Formats: sequence, structure tokens, C-alpha cells
Amino acid sequence: MAKVRSLSDATALRDETVLRQVRNLGSARSGLREWRLQRLTALALIPLGLYFAASILWLATSDRVTAVAWLSSPVPALLVILFVLAGLAHAIIGLNSVLLDYVHARAPLLAGGLVVRAAAVTLAGASVLAILKLFLGR
Amino acid sequence: MNRPLSPFMFPLWYRFQITSALSILHRLTGIALAVGSILLAWWLVSVAAGGELFAATHAFIASPFGMLLLFGWSIAFFYHMCNGVRHLAWDAGYGFELQQAYRSGYAVLAATALLTALAWLYVFLA
Repeated sequence: MAKVRSLSDATALRDETVLRQVRNLGSARSGLREWRLQRLTALALIPLGLYFAASILWLATSDRVTAVAWLSSPVPALLVILFVLAGLAHAIIGLNSVLLDYVHARAPLLAGGLVVRAAAVTLAGASVLAILKLFLGR
Repeated sequence: MNRPLSPFMFPLWYRFQITSALSILHRLTGIALAVGSILLAWWLVSVAAGGELFAATHAFIASPFGMLLLFGWSIAFFYHMCNGVRHLAWDAGYGFELQQAYRSGYAVLAATALLTALAWLYVFLA
């Protein structure tokens, strides 16, 4: 007989192990994937976001030479790419949960989710291409 | 069935509470930051493209409205980050007592104000 762990002494992050034992009562295998990705990207965005915020607030109004010099150096280029990717992955999950709460019809919910994903992927692609162009072209 | 559904109970039917206000603010700042990523991608593309596109983007960001957007972005970012840390603590099982939830809420507001002030002080002094 499988050893049954008490739910009360397991923290949320360990609950997947418990959930795996609860078959036929919901998406016990993949239901936590999105939840965990939201928390994982949230953790990553603390250092990445602080670095980005500290840089962008003075860079946003700087001249192009300064902005190009910053974005074409390896460390800022890498960290801004990671910030954009983690941020948009986090945004897709967040915006979809907002849609799920407020959109109560199937078709607009599906359409809204597609628009969010399309916009996020387009913005991620444009941002990464812009940074790569500066980084590779220096 | 014209009864109000749950997300729309606030603020007409519920008494104001800082906990629910901060929860809604977390969503609003999240949406604002997602919209802000359009401006971020636009700025990155304009830096890469240069020329007239960069000049127009630079003029927009340096305008009073652009600076207001940037200031709003900084408040939204610092608030969402601080309240996000509060959520991560809840996820790990800490801070569920009512008094703790209120205290952490006020702490988030204080930390947001402090971080925003420090960031802009650094911008103007540097």
C-alpha cells in the first residue's frame, strides 16, 4: 500500500506529489504546471525586474548612443532578453486568469486567450530580434 | 437573475477593506505592466532601428505624458513585485492570520513608496 502523506504538513509546492495520488479527481498530473510556471517566473522576475527597472528609468530618456552601447553589451543584452521572456510568460498566465474570471462565454474567452498569446509572442519576438541585432552588430 | 456576480460586488456591496483593494490593485498593475510591455518592445525596436523612429520614440518618452507613463510603470512594477512577494509567502503557507495580512498589506504599500522614491532619486542624482 502506498504511503499516504498528510495534506496539512505539505506546503503548496510539495502538493503535486500528493495530488498525483488523487487519481480521477481532476487534472492531477498537469494541473499544477501553469501554477508553478507563474511562481517560477515570478521568482525570476524579482532580480531581473529590479535590474531592468534600475537601468531603464535613466536609459529611457538617454540618447541613442548610450542606449545602443548598453543593449549591445553581453550582460545587459542577456538579462533584458530573459526579463522580456519571463515577463511575457508571466503575463500570458496572468491575463488568461483574468479572462477566465470575467469572460463567461466560451467563444470570447477562447478568442481573448488567442489574442493574448499572439500579442505576447509577437512582442517577445520583436524585442529579442531588436536586442540580437544590436548585440551581433556591434 | 439580475443579482450581481462575485467579482463585481466590490465596492458597491462590500465595505472597503485594504486586503481586497490591494488584491484588485495587484490585478490592475499586472494588466498595466502587460500593456507596458508594448512600449518596452517599441522602445527596443526603435533603438535597433535608429533614425526617425528613435527620434519620435525618444520625443514621446521625454514628453510630460511619456514621463508620466514611465513614472506609472515604476509604481506599478514596484507594487506588483512587493505584493507578489506577499503572494509567494502565502503560497509557502505564511501570513494567513488576519492581522498579518493587514500588516503585510501596509508593508507592501510602504515598500512600494520607498522603492519608487529611491529609484527616481537615483535617476535625478545620477
